[in-house]
Amino acid sequence: MLKTIDVVGGYGKVQILNGVTLEVARGQIVALLGGNGTGKSTMLKAISGLIKPWNGSIEFEGERIDGMRPDRIVRRGLVQVTQGKEAYPGMTVEENLLLGAHVRTERAVRARGLERVYAYFPILKERRRQLSGILSGGQLQMLCVGRGLMSEPKMMLLDEPSAALAPQVVFDIFRAIARICRDGMTLLLVEQNVRMALLLAQYGYVIKDGVIHIEGPSEQMINDDAVRLSYLGGTVADRERKLSL
Amino acid sequence: MSYFFDLVVVGLSLGMVYALVAIGISLIYAGLDVVHFAHGEIYMLGAFIGLVIFNKFHLPLPLVLVGSMVLTGLVGVFIERVFYRRVLKGGGGYTVAGMAMVICGFGMSIVLQNVAFLIWGPRALPFPVSYGMPVELGSITLPASYVWIVIAALVLMAGLHLFLKKTRLGLAVRAVAGNKEIASLMGINVPLTISVIFGIACALGAAAGVLVGPINYVQVQMGIGVLIKAFAAAVIGGFGSLPGAVLGGLMVGVTESLGAGYLSGSYKDIYAFFLLIAVLMVRPAGMFGVIAKVKA
Repeated sequence: MLKTIDVVGGYGKVQILNGVTLEVARGQIVALLGGNGTGKSTMLKAISGLIKPWNGSIEFEGERIDGMRPDRIVRRGLVQVTQGKEAYPGMTVEENLLLGAHVRTERAVRARGLERVYAYFPILKERRRQLSGILSGGQLQMLCVGRGLMSEPKMMLLDEPSAALAPQVVFDIFRAIARICRDGMTLLLVEQNVRMALLLAQYGYVIKDGVIHIEGPSEQMINDDAVRLSYLGGTVADRERKLSL
Repeated sequence: MSYFFDLVVVGLSLGMVYALVAIGISLIYAGLDVVHFAHGEIYMLGAFIGLVIFNKFHLPLPLVLVGSMVLTGLVGVFIERVFYRRVLKGGGGYTVAGMAMVICGFGMSIVLQNVAFLIWGPRALPFPVSYGMPVELGSITLPASYVWIVIAALVLMAGLHLFLKKTRLGLAVRAVAGNKEIASLMGINVPLTISVIFGIACALGAAAGVLVGPINYVQVQMGIGVLIKAFAAAVIGGFGSLPGAVLGGLMVGVTESLGAGYLSGSYKDIYAFFLLIAVLMVRPAGMFGVIAKVKA
């Protein structure tokens, strides 16, 4: 569904991506892993259209989208879910959600989107008239995931949904994301929290210095010594948790 | 007492005019990250366009107002698309492009003045519209023009408020004003929305021009004085805040009117700045302002 070939790019004169090739099939959850400054956020920006790749190609559903304006990419059904801190603090929860449905003008679709998001995240319904600036970190993240769902996209890009959240909250968010995927969403998950991401994803890429360093099915990666030593901090992920996700 | 009341009403209606221009300046600041120094000339252009419509078609004033707003709004969109957008490609605020944009605004102000000079000449033209009989409010009688200015401005402000709060496009405008990158990830066409913001700001400036036209004469130089007071109003209210722009405009208008009435009419243009200094000493960010945002 999404396919990037040798994507090269960066900011100004600084080259950050040195040829990133990855692929996400329909209905799949793929994790893009890496620490700070490895290029994973830059890659995300290249896919969602915030920066223009210098070289290489990005295809979504068989058509080139590299260099396209971000709003055109959203209209094609590929939506980037921002980090929680990037909700609009001066707008209410519901206004933030409706903003996510900007490309959908039909009243029925917008109402259906709200209902769907409130079903996944009931707390947002309770707080829908409050300014999003007063939500907790976890609720903000839920708001941003919900906002991404509002345009009924075919695929979502998730930008570090676990960033700056307590472990229990991260777990709640990932459970919700798992449910959204079971309902038929394709996902590219960009994460620093390697363990949680691999538990959720079927396939993983590890990016380092702007190139894909390691890739493979997540089962295999969890057991892979190289991944474990460099990104998991030494301990083996508890596989029991996967059952509850 | 009725003298005081008269002055307040005159001040309020004058303040509404400043507020309309200040709202435009604040909208452009919030949406484009730049201070628009040619907004006084947009106001002047709006008044001239209104006068032309009035003289050609003899329409009632509300229609002249709407016509001038639409045409001036389109002129604004043209200016933004053709000139400002090229400069702003490198960003606004304290970037080099942001500074270039300040100069570009001054340049546009001179260009518009001279275009108006070439078309309509240097003379002050009368705007011979009749607002009707004076309105009686209890014990005092007011010229109808002041009442109509207040009503028309209130209707426009309410319309803007509803647009921003209730419509899909209004929500997009607020999103673009908040953060352009996030707005584009929501699927909002940011360049188009910026044009919309600029068009609305210019339409409001034009409305102010048409409302003032019948009280004063319409002339090429009329923009600069209003720009400076509207600027003071926007700063007093908190730059970028729309309720602040309204409050600031009313404060400037009333201060000016009371100062002219009780102290001296010949210094009427400086009272706004006394107010500005006083407010900034107490609240450096203005009445509703946040100091965190740093833009040029």
